[in-house]
Formats: sequence, structure tokens, C-alpha cells
Amino acid sequence: MKEQMVKFLVNGTTYEISIEPSMTLLEVLRDKLGLTGTKLSCGVGSCGVCTVLVDGKAVNSCLTLAITVKGRSILTIEGLVKGATLHPIQKAFIDHGAIQCGFCTPGMIMSAKALLDESPNPTRAEIEKAMEGNLCRCTGYVKISNAILAAAKALEEGEKQNG
Amino acid sequence: MIRVLKPFEYFEPNTVKEAIDILSRYGRKAKVFGGGTDLLVEMKRGKIAPQYVVYIKSIPGLDYIKYSQEEGLRIGALTTHATIADSHIIRDRFELLATACKKVGTPQVRNVGTIGGNICQGGPSQDTIPSLLVLNAMLKLVGPHSERLVPIDKFFIGPFQTAIDGVELITEIQIPALPAQSGGCYKWITKRTTADETLVGVAVLIVSDSTEGICKDIRIGLCSVAPTPFRARKAEELLREKKFESELLEEIVQAIDDEAIPRSRENYRRKMAKILTKRAIEEVWQRINYLKNINVDGK
Repeated sequence: MKEQMVKFLVNGTTYEISIEPSMTLLEVLRDKLGLTGTKLSCGVGSCGVCTVLVDGKAVNSCLTLAITVKGRSILTIEGLVKGATLHPIQKAFIDHGAIQCGFCTPGMIMSAKALLDESPNPTRAEIEKAMEGNLCRCTGYVKISNAILAAAKALEEGEKQNG
Repeated sequence: MIRVLKPFEYFEPNTVKEAIDILSRYGRKAKVFGGGTDLLVEMKRGKIAPQYVVYIKSIPGLDYIKYSQEEGLRIGALTTHATIADSHIIRDRFELLATACKKVGTPQVRNVGTIGGNICQGGPSQDTIPSLLVLNAMLKLVGPHSERLVPIDKFFIGPFQTAIDGVELITEIQIPALPAQSGGCYKWITKRTTADETLVGVAVLIVSDSTEGICKDIRIGLCSVAPTPFRARKAEELLREKKFESELLEEIVQAIDDEAIPRSRENYRRKMAKILTKRAIEEVWQRINYLKNINVDGK
């Protein structure tokens, strides 16, 4: 199959690259664009470490053919940092002990961002449901939920200050 | 897991007709790609390696939810599980279907997986099917020369075998409007975690007669306890058009046990099918009859 030139909009930047239709979004992000924050683990959409946002929705990039998201707005973990300032969700994960080996963390944070963008004030049960597609072998999940609750508060405070 | 997929020829048709033409041309070497959450998994696991992949999600006009009292509910086949689970129309009037769609997979899978694709997968343990069975869903199938409507309870022939004949695409799911005093629910257990495969799934729909405590209609749909999802019609007959009595529930769940043919974990699945059916019937019956005696002026 011939390679095609395709435009991707990732973290606000447009990239025009040559891809094969059989390439997953995960491959394109990591291997073509050097954005290695998004991870590969199960490769079949069960573990969630490859989670990125496409038009604000959490998807498994390992199960997304890159060609199908051409022109759509893609957000990866690298897109959350503003210069040297961490996103409140990233900060909350650090402050609340929600990171051990760190491998699941980018996927967790992207799913959390999708949740908080849609539901700024989730309950713990809603968090657990929204995060059920992200697995962690280290932490036991409690501190991840704590971090997301704290991030929700921090984002609300930030809104109030800016509003 | 294959890290890099084998190359294939990729098509992005703009109409159903175009898609069908391409699929007809390449036959078994071509696969339909909707959300891809089943197709890509099989390709990654090395089970299939299609030479031609036909991406149908770019076809406009197949992602919608419409409702009217006359025509009932119409869902486009490319509507995602997330859209159905969040839909006010479906939550208000067909809540069990929203619940079932919210159970499917994980949030990431629900955001891209389609109801049409889920139905076409034809597996024994898919959460959406019991609800569609009790809602008497009809499937609109479009082929190269014709369209047809197939009732969902005639669609599953065997595990992962559907009644699709040659090249056909599901374009729409049609569900009749429900009468006033009716309600349903979907109950399930999984193997381990919340996002696991369903071990037993039971959907129940009841229509009650507001005056006499008669169960006018009852429909029971099950998944994961037989080679295909099915309606437990013998169990339904025990309560349909009869006065609701708790004693009947024991006979009904025994009929469920008789109709179930679980492939594995047999004892546990049989036990849970009975328990979940009993809970579902009791819950729905209580819910739809709870408000019937309220007077208009609130006394």
C-alpha cells in the first residue's frame, strides 16, 4: 500500500507526514513525531496507557488508524505542559502520590483530563467509572482517584480566580 | 500482539452504495472498519489479515438518534456507545439500552465503537443485545440490490455468526415506542473488574395493566449463558397476561435455568442468571407500579 502525505494537528501544531494506512496513531505519535510520552503496552485497547484525546474524547491510540484522525484535533500528554508549568492534573498526581513507576501515568492523566473537561465536579464513583479503561499495576488506584479529586478542586479554584 | 499491522489497501467511501460496491468487489479479502474496536483487535492478535479495509465511519448520515411516538426510536448504525449512553432521549424512554451501552468496554472503546459494529460482531456475551432483544429491535440491512428489515432475535445464528447474507451493511436500528406503564432494566455480573467481559447479562422489560396488577407483557433477554443471546420465551409465558405474584418468580427463574446452555462456569452462571432475573423482574415491577395511585392534586 502506498504511503500518503497526511496532515495531523497535534497539541496545536500541524504536522504533514508520510504514513501508511496500516499505521496506528500510537506509531505515528511515537515513531514519526517523536512524542514518546504516550506509551504502548497491551496494544489491544485494554490497558489504556496509549490514551490520547481526539476532539476532546479519550481514545486508545493503539486501536486508532492514524489516517482516520487526519485533520482532527489530537491532544497528548506533551500538550498539557505550558512552558515550564505543569497542568494542575499533572501537579495533583505528583502531590498525591499517584505515580510509582509512571508508565500508566500519561494515559491516566489524559483520561482524567477528558473526564474533568466534561464533568468538572465528579464523585469518586464517577471517577472510578471514567477511569475504568486505565490500568495500573503499582498504585492500587486510590491515590489516583485522590489526585483527580484534588485536580478538580484546583481547576475550579483556577476558574474562580480567572473568572 | 502484532506491534505493526500488515499493510493493506485502504478505502474511505462516501456513501453506503460505494462501500457495498468495494466490499462486493473484494469479497472475503475485505473487512468493514467502523469504530475498529473489534476489527483492529483481531488484526493485532494475528487472527485476520485483510488485504482491503473499508472505513465506513466517514459515511455521513449514519450517526443519529431520532424519536417520535409514531415511528419509535431510530438509531443510526454508526452511533457510538458513548453517544447512546449519554442521550437524553434514550435515558428518558429506553434507559436499559443506555445502561447496557455504558457497560460496553471502557470509556475509550465507547467513544469510538459503534452499535452497528457491536451487533455485527455477533458474540454470545455482548451487553447491548439483551436490551435490544427485549425492545424488539429491527435491523435495517442494505445489500447491493435490496434492503431488508430483520428482527434482532432472528439475527444471531451461532457464536459470532449472524444472518448477514453476502455483502450487507446494517444502517439503522429501529425500536418501537413503548406504552405508558412500562419499564425495563439491565443487570449483569462480570468476570472480575468492571470493564471485563460480562459473565451473565439479563435485560427485562415489563408492561403492566394499571388497574388489576396484571403483567400485560414481559420480555426477558439474556447474554453469556448460551451460544447466542436469546429471549427466554418459555419463562416469559409464565407471567405474560397473568396477575403478578411473587410465587411465580420461582417458576420463571427455573424456566430460565432450563433454557440456559452455558459453555463454562456452568453452575455459577446458572445460579446468577436466576438471581439476576428475579432481581430485575422485581425491580421493574415495583418501579412501574410505584406511582400508579398518585392523584393529580397530590393528595
